[in-house]
Formats: sequence, C-alpha cells, structure tokens
Amino acid sequence: MDPAGGAASALQLLGITKSYGSVVACDAVDLAINKGEIHGLLGENGAGKSTLMKILLGLVHRDAGSIVYGGKPVEINTPQVAAALGLGMVHQHFSLIEPLRVWENVILGDVGRIDRLAACRQVEEVGLRYGLPINPMARVEQLSAGERQRVELIKCLRRDPAVLILDEPTSVLTQAESAELFSVLRRVVQEENRAVILISHKLAEITAATDRVTVLSKGRVVFQSATGDTTATELARQMVGREVSLRAEAAALGVLPVEQYRVELASAEQVESASPDRPAALRLRELEVDVGGVAVVKRLSLDVRAGEIVGLYGVEGNGQSTLGDVLSGLVQPTSGSIELGGVPVELNRPGALQRAGLGIVPEDRHRCGVVLDMSVAENLSLKALGDIGGRHLLSRRKMHAVARRLVAEFNIVAPSLDAPVRSVSGGNQQRLVVARELSANPTVLVAAQPTRGLDVAAIEDMYLRLREAASSGVAVLLISTELEEVMELCSRVAVISSGRITGVLSIVEATAERLGMLVGGMAA
Amino acid sequence: MSALAVVVAMALSALLIATTGGSPLDSLNAIIQGSVGSPAAWTTTLLNATPLLVVAAGACISSRSGIFNIGQEGQVLIGAMAATAVSLRLALVGPALLVLGMFAAAVAGGVWASLSAVMHRLRGVNIVVSTLLMTFVAQQLISYAVNTPWLLQATRIGSTAPPPESNQIPVGAQLGSIGHYPQLQLNLGLFLALVLTVVVAVAMARTRWGFELKMMGLNPLTAQHAGVRVSRLGAVALGLSGAFAGIAGAVLIASPVGNFRLQPGVSSNFGWDGLLVALVARNRPIVAVPFAVLFGILRSGGNFVAATGVPSFLVDVVKGLLVLAFVAPPALADMLQRRAATAKAARSASTRSADLEGVAA
Amino acid sequence: MSVAGDVSTILASGVRLTGPLAFAACGEYIAERAGTMNISVEAMMLGGAFASVATASATGSATIGLVVGAAVGFAVAVLHGTLAHRAEINTFVVGLVLNSLVLGLTSYLIAVSRFDSHQVSLVSIPLLRDIPMVGRALFVERWPVYLLLVLVPLTWWLVERSRWGLELRAVGENPRAADVTGIRVNVRRRQALMWCGLLGGFGGAYLAVGEVGSFNQNMTAGRGYIVIAAVIFGAWRLGRTMLGCVLFGLADAMRLALPALGVTLNGQFLIAVPYVLALLAMLVFATQYREPKALGQPFERGSS
Repeated sequence: MDPAGGAASALQLLGITKSYGSVVACDAVDLAINKGEIHGLLGENGAGKSTLMKILLGLVHRDAGSIVYGGKPVEINTPQVAAALGLGMVHQHFSLIEPLRVWENVILGDVGRIDRLAACRQVEEVGLRYGLPINPMARVEQLSAGERQRVELIKCLRRDPAVLILDEPTSVLTQAESAELFSVLRRVVQEENRAVILISHKLAEITAATDRVTVLSKGRVVFQSATGDTTATELARQMVGREVSLRAEAAALGVLPVEQYRVELASAEQVESASPDRPAALRLRELEVDVGGVAVVKRLSLDVRAGEIVGLYGVEGNGQSTLGDVLSGLVQPTSGSIELGGVPVELNRPGALQRAGLGIVPEDRHRCGVVLDMSVAENLSLKALGDIGGRHLLSRRKMHAVARRLVAEFNIVAPSLDAPVRSVSGGNQQRLVVARELSANPTVLVAAQPTRGLDVAAIEDMYLRLREAASSGVAVLLISTELEEVMELCSRVAVISSGRITGVLSIVEATAERLGMLVGGMAA
Repeated sequence: MSALAVVVAMALSALLIATTGGSPLDSLNAIIQGSVGSPAAWTTTLLNATPLLVVAAGACISSRSGIFNIGQEGQVLIGAMAATAVSLRLALVGPALLVLGMFAAAVAGGVWASLSAVMHRLRGVNIVVSTLLMTFVAQQLISYAVNTPWLLQATRIGSTAPPPESNQIPVGAQLGSIGHYPQLQLNLGLFLALVLTVVVAVAMARTRWGFELKMMGLNPLTAQHAGVRVSRLGAVALGLSGAFAGIAGAVLIASPVGNFRLQPGVSSNFGWDGLLVALVARNRPIVAVPFAVLFGILRSGGNFVAATGVPSFLVDVVKGLLVLAFVAPPALADMLQRRAATAKAARSASTRSADLEGVAA
Repeated sequence: MSVAGDVSTILASGVRLTGPLAFAACGEYIAERAGTMNISVEAMMLGGAFASVATASATGSATIGLVVGAAVGFAVAVLHGTLAHRAEINTFVVGLVLNSLVLGLTSYLIAVSRFDSHQVSLVSIPLLRDIPMVGRALFVERWPVYLLLVLVPLTWWLVERSRWGLELRAVGENPRAADVTGIRVNVRRRQALMWCGLLGGFGGAYLAVGEVGSFNQNMTAGRGYIVIAAVIFGAWRLGRTMLGCVLFGLADAMRLALPALGVTLNGQFLIAVPYVLALLAMLVFATQYREPKALGQPFERGSS
C-alpha cells in the first residue's frame, strides 16, 4: 500500500478501524512509519490522530486492522505491552509531579529498588547524548516549560524506544525551545535510527521538521507525501479541504440553509456600513491572559457586530478555553479590555459581563454552566434571581412559572421541574443553558463548543437557536473546533492559533488553503 | 438501609452492655425514663437539645456553602466567655443584659471563626485545620480567664482561693422559663433555638442569599459565573456559623445546663455534638431539630444509666454508633453502585474490546 | 532543689512526654505526605492506650500490650480508610466520628473494668547516664523510647528514599499525574494511613504501659491534635516535626513543673503553645511551607 513501507519500516498500521457508537474515529487507516524518519501527523480535532495513537499505546482497542511491528504482527492490549515493544509517548499535558525532583519523576512508574545515583547518572547520560541538559536534582516546579519538556523526553528516551510519539509537543514552548526540541529529534532519528511520530497542527513545524507527512481527516488518510515534495499551502488545503469542499458542493446543490441567511446578512452589513460610528456589540481589545505564568491568550482583538455570527475557529488547546473562562467571568485578563456596546466592562466585578448583556454557553457545562445537583427550575433562574423575587426573597411560584415557560419554549425534556439537572440528558442540559442565557435577552451570545457531545437532533436545535438569535439582532460569537459548524453558521471566521488571532476571513474568502494556513499558525 | 443500620447500632450497644455484665433492657429503660419519662426528664432533655440545635443550625450554614467549620467547640466557649463578661461587668437591667450578652456572644463567636477566614485569605491556611486548632487555643483562653482574678475568676470569699470558674451571672441575665406547667420547664433558650433554626431554614430555602449559598456549595465555579462573590459569601457563611456557636455558648451560660457560670469545661462537647447533629441532618436545619432532641435524650438519659450499674459513657458509644449508622450506609451504597458500574463497564469493554472512556481521554 | 536538678527533672519529664507524640507524629507525617489529613490519630492513640493496658493486664506482659495497642490503632486506620477512601465520606467527618466513638468506648470500658498495672522496663545506659544534667533524662528511659532512634530514620528513609515513599509523595502532591503513571492512588493512601494507625496506636500504648502503667478516662486528652500541630509546625518535614514534638513535650513538662518551681506563670499558655505555634508556622512561613498539594482532597478516578 505504502511505497515507502518495506524493510526500513519500523511500524506499519494496516486498515486500522475504530468506531465509538456511530462515530467512526479511524476508518481503515494505513500508515507506515520508517526507521530514521520523523513522520508528521497532521489533522484537525476529531481527525482521528489521538485515537490512532491510543491504539498504538494499548489504551484503546481497535475494531479491525492489524499492526505490524519490526516485521511481525503484534497485539498491543495494554500500555505495558506497548512500552515493552518500545513505543513511547510524550503527552501534550505534562504528567510530571512538580514538587518532586527530576530524577524522581523520571523513575516514577518503574518497579524495584530505587538507586538515586544510578537514576541521576542516567538522567545526565541521556541528557548528554541528546543535548537535553538538566540537573537531575532540580525540583520540577523550578523548571521552565522547555526544561519540563526535556524531563518528559528523557523519561521517555531512557527506555530506549524504537518509536517515539510526540503529541503537540510545542504547545507550551517558546520558539527557541521548539527549535531545540526539533534538533534533538533530528539526532534521535539520524544517529540512532529510531522513528518519531510528530503530531501537530502547526504547518511551519511540520514542513520544517518532518521527513514525511500524513494528513488525516475524518478518520481517513487523505494525503501522504515526502515533506520535501509538498508545500504548506497544499497541506493546509488537505487538512481542511473536505469540509470546505463539502460546503461548496452543498451550496451548488442549493441545500445549504445558510445561503439565504447570508443574503439577509449581506443587506444587514450594508445597513451597518452606512453607519460606521455604531460600535461593535462585542469588542475584545488586546486581551492578554496568563495561566500559571504562561501567556495563553496574546493580544487578542476581535469585533462582533449585532446580527452576525462570527466563528472563532482553531485546533483545541490554542487559548479558546481560557478565552471562554474570561468571558464567563472566571478568569481575569492581565491586560486588555472587553467592551459591550462600546462600553468597557469592569471585569473585576462578579457578574459584570452578564449585567452588561453578555450571555454565554460555556464549553464545559458541568464545570461552570449548570449545578448538577440543583433542580431544572433552579438552574434556569440561577443567573436571574432578580426576576423571580425581590431583593431578598425568592418566589418558588415565579421560579416555576419562568421554568415552565422556558421548558416549553426550548423543548427541554425533563422528568419534572424539580428534578436535578443530573437526571437530564446532555442535550437537554445544553438546551437548558441556552434557554437561560437567551431568556436574559442578551445583546451578545457566546457559544463555546456548543454542540460537543450532543446528538444530531440537539445539534440541529442548537444551530437553529443560534441563527434565530443572530437574526433577532444578537451578536453571536461561536467558539468552535468544528470547521463544518463554523462554515455552516458564520459569516466571518476568525482563526486562533497559539493564543493569537492569525486572521479574520469573511466566509466567501475562507478557502481551505487560507483557513489551513491560519490554523497552522501561518499568515494567509 | 439506614433503619437497618440503626438497628445494628442498637444491637451493638446492647451487646456491649451485655458482655460487660449489664442489662441492655434496664439501660434502655433508664435512658427513656431519664429523658422522656417525666415532665422533669423532658425539661433536661430539651435544655440539652437547645445549644446543640443552635450549633447545628450554624453548622448547616457553613457546610451548605461548602466550607467545613469544625471549630464550634471553641466558638461555643468564646461565645460563653463574651456573654459572661457582659453579664458580669455591665450594670444593666435584666432583659437588656440578656440581649446584649447574646449579641456579644454572637459577635465574639463570629469573629473567632472569621479569624480562620482571614488566615485563609492572607496565607491560604486550610480552614478545617485552623478552625480545629483555634478550638484548643480557645479552651486555654477560657481556662486562663477563669484562673485570673482580674479577668473572670470568681471573687474571693474569705481566705480560701476561689475555684477556677466565674461568678454566677445575675438572675436578670439568665434565660427563664416560659409558662407554668407542672414540673415541665420550657426554657426561653429553646424558643430562641427554634426561631433561629426556622430563620436559617427559611433563609436557605426562600431567599436569594440561601440560593447563592447552595449554588456555591454545589458548584463554586458556576456560582462565580453567575455573579456570586464566592470568597466573600464563604467568609460570611463561616462567620455566621461561628456566631451561631457563640450564641449557643451564651445560651449555655444563661441556662441551668451551664450552671450560669463560666467554667473551663462548660462547652462539654456541645460544639462537637452540634456539628454531628448537622452532619446526620445532612445540613437541613429543620431535620436537625429531631436529631438535636435525640442527642439531648442521650445526654439527659446518660445520667440515669449509671444507676443501673452501667457507666454513663454508654450514651457516648451509642451516639457514635448512631452517627455512623446515619452517615455510612448511603455512602457505602454509593460505593457498591460505583463498583458495579465499573465492573459492568469493564465487562462490556472487554467483550466489545472497546474502551469508550479512554484511559488518557 | 538546684537549678541543675530542676533542669534535669524538666528534661526527663519532657523526654517522657515527647515519646508518645514522636511515635504518633511519625505516623501522621506519613499519612499527611500521602494526602490524608488524619484527625483520627487521636482515636488511634486512645484506642492503643486502652488496648495496651487491657492486654498487659490479661497477659501480664507490657510488651504484648504494646503490640496489641499498635494493632488496635491499625484497626482504627482500616476503618477510617474504608469509610474515607472507599466509601468517600469526608475524611474530617470520619475522623470526628471515630474520635468521638473511641473516646466513648474506652471511657465506658475502663469504667467497667479493673486492670493490673504493668509497665515496660527501664533501660539505663552505663556511663552516659552519669553525664550531668542530661544523663538521667536521656539515658535512663523505658526501652521503647530507644526504638525512636531506629523509627525516625526508618520513617525518613521510607518516605524520602524508598520507591513506596516516592509513590506516596507523588500521590500526596498530584494524585492525577500519579494515577496516569500507573500508581494506585487510594491504595497508597490507605497503606499510609495504616502505618499511621500502627504508629499512633503504638504511641498511645507507650503512653499507657510505658510511662504511666495504667489507663484513665480520656488518657490522651487531645495529644492526637498536638501531633497534628507538630506535623504542621514541622512544615511536613520529618526533622522539624520531631523538633515540634520535643518542643511541645518540653512545654508540657514545664507546665507540670511550674508549681514545684514556685513560678506563678499560668499553665494555660504552655498548653496552648503547640496550637499557637502551628498556626503561626502556617501564617509566617507560608511562602516556604510545603503542604502536600492534595492534602485533604479525596481522589476519585475520572473526576476532574
């Protein structure tokens, strides 16, 4: 199947298929990783990259297909088997224990007696061999992100893996640290003939650091090439091409509901351009957010006008969640401002954003959207207690009246108004959140990953609500990792990468290539 | 299941009595006679239940907000000291003295608990730990006060050294009985406790503040998202629970249970037990009423058990077993349910060779 | 009495009062490093004290009493571990209930029982005991005290140098990461708690059959809480924890000696010393004090 497969291949995946219920995460994936190469694996969220890697590491069991390792078919049922075979992974989120010393972290998970001197020596040896200098006696909490990455690498490399998998390894690294990492990886493959799988969505990284590249989309291999024979633009197109071309097809067939809506919107924009003084309904200005000393959102500016749906699109882990926390009032930006209707919001006052007219459907509703152990009725009114009572007292009767109305209006299915939200399905929990946010008549609605984990009916419902909100004059900001969703709903797309907005495109300008380049952190 | 657990707890207690040579039936009879067998017995039971209920009502407030205050024993003492000081030092007429004493006790208990909130705010000191440690500091503070003549130690009569306790507080500052019934006295404190409990119950169930408190306890992030000042509300809840414990201390001093005077042991575990009452009532103030009476029954009945040749400490054992019987079964049931779910998931995962959760998901 | 005599007396009494604290503190230290804020150490000590006296009386051997005392502490730990780590009841709630239950039970049992007095033997070390002032205090002691010379380094080695201890610390600091690395978090925590039970029970037993020779109602009288204060004062370092135990033991000894010395200082201040010092330690040394980051937080797989 793969021309490059053969004697030199360290690992071959043949027809790997894995589905979760009706969702196909990996669809007959063929992949050959050669010794002595860095193999880039490119794809959006949900493209199947992580499922594939979990299968390789014995964390997930495949439905069909086979794995050939060192020329022999193997069964990888547990992480232990994977480790014994020589498959090692450096995870995206560090699994280090901060107050412990470097050498202690490195040997955590081994068995048998501890030999501190031997462990320290090994850390130093491995460090020396790969150019990963680290003091084995240092405590991890005193290390920089780059140094922590070194510890993770050493932890992995000292087990002498034949195949080393890195999942978005540069997401918390500076440019210099990233460059250093890639030079180490180069040495690993060139001098020791190991194989490296580099999972990334950053095009610059893939083109600069890999020997071959495979693009996954919707669980399928859509493109494979030697890195030298392709370009960033080509990769960008391949990465997001399917969705964009699908949209084009649908538009050609005239089945895209958004078309008609876009015409309306175009006229709305004309109205707006006629009054340029009118401020944007939501204006994010030079937002900077630090989480644990790391800049996660960097000088982010974005305008959303009344009546439009703007998508904030990007691969997960590029600062969207933190931005969502800022808009939920949970995190305060280090600098910058948020304006609603031209008026800056005092972000240090609890509930200020909400009072200024911002509604939000948070990314993780269980975390900060609902109180699972409170009733449906209580959850429906928890942000508008003033409406169901006076300054101090609350009226149960009024609360139930509000709840009854919203439950009917938004088709929320619940055993009763007094049933705890825990007992309601995910789709209905999400409807509840939307109902609550929209019932406050917001001027701005932020929907963060609003359809994640929902069934088809609930997704349809959500799309309808967002469109209705926009057409009634609400400014809607859709934060999403699903390009299809963004393409279907939005009139403009802002692309976020590494906490920065890399570009804002109107939907007509949003070609696969340009979107792909922006997602990959390159100008387009 | 809880009923079964209570039966088991009673059976274990009976077994304990039987193996140590007593008669379980006699003991049970003594407890019942001593606590609810006569109007006089009821009087003692309710007097004992009163401070327990006040402490429990306060504990409901802080626990509801997700903040665990376990220093009630110390806050009771501090409240008792404040009430005693006011009652002995100020020259006021009866009712004013009583009201002012209660008020001072509430403030003192509240401030004492709030110190923990301050330490948490300033230096991130764990609230459970600091409220616990502050209890022992309070105990020594009280002990010092009643051992120091220029503080609260009783005045010297003749040449004998005064005992380590305060003078009796004036009659005007004592809580009297309401109504006249043969042998039965309904102390004013009981009504105060019931009123406070109802107030807390209504505040929690019917007010905006109670709603926010509950929200904060169940999901602080959602509460913050909904505009609640979480740290301030938490500090208020902690302070209030301390204030209630302080009032309990004042009630103790002003009623026959506390002999109308400050003594080092005056709190006599009312703080700890009140916390346990709130615990078994699962932070519902109204439900705390019957449990406070139950604990009161054990306290008043305990004095009569000794007459049957069984040590009065029996009631402490019964109390501990009962608390376990109320707390453990639901948690154990949850645990079994979780295990069954995990086992089921593991089975289906192995048969379908699918792992829907994904270990590193 | 001479000054030297006074010092020697206070020192001797201080060492005796330190002993039970030090044993239990080694256990509490281990439990807290694994992330369990164990307030039932009071119940462990009290249960151990009672059981040791009862056993010593029944068998005639104070040494067997020590062993059984440790076993009873262990049993309390198993109960605590089951309720807190398996059934996931709040660990402080479990602690409060166990403390109250064990206090009631031992009070009841001592009231209906009569035990003979037994005490472990004194060991007097030749030559060293003749050192002026400190000789009698340090080198004429009940033999279990000398076990501390082994136990403290052993505890240190276990926590800081063994693989078990490494995993224990990982569990106390970051249970989620530890879980990903393949460590069974709640198993480690229960094991740590069981150590604490053994040592807490032994500490209580040593107090009873070691120092006093009998049991009285509420014999430990809050020593478990002093142990907790010592671990906090020690900023979760074993050496400083032991220093705390010695300091608190000496404060207690001072208090007992005050009347004999004719000093009219109020003893209450000395009793409050451990708690005040622990609170101050948390306030003053906040920047460098290193509480295990997951202390008192339950761990449940799959929750975030």
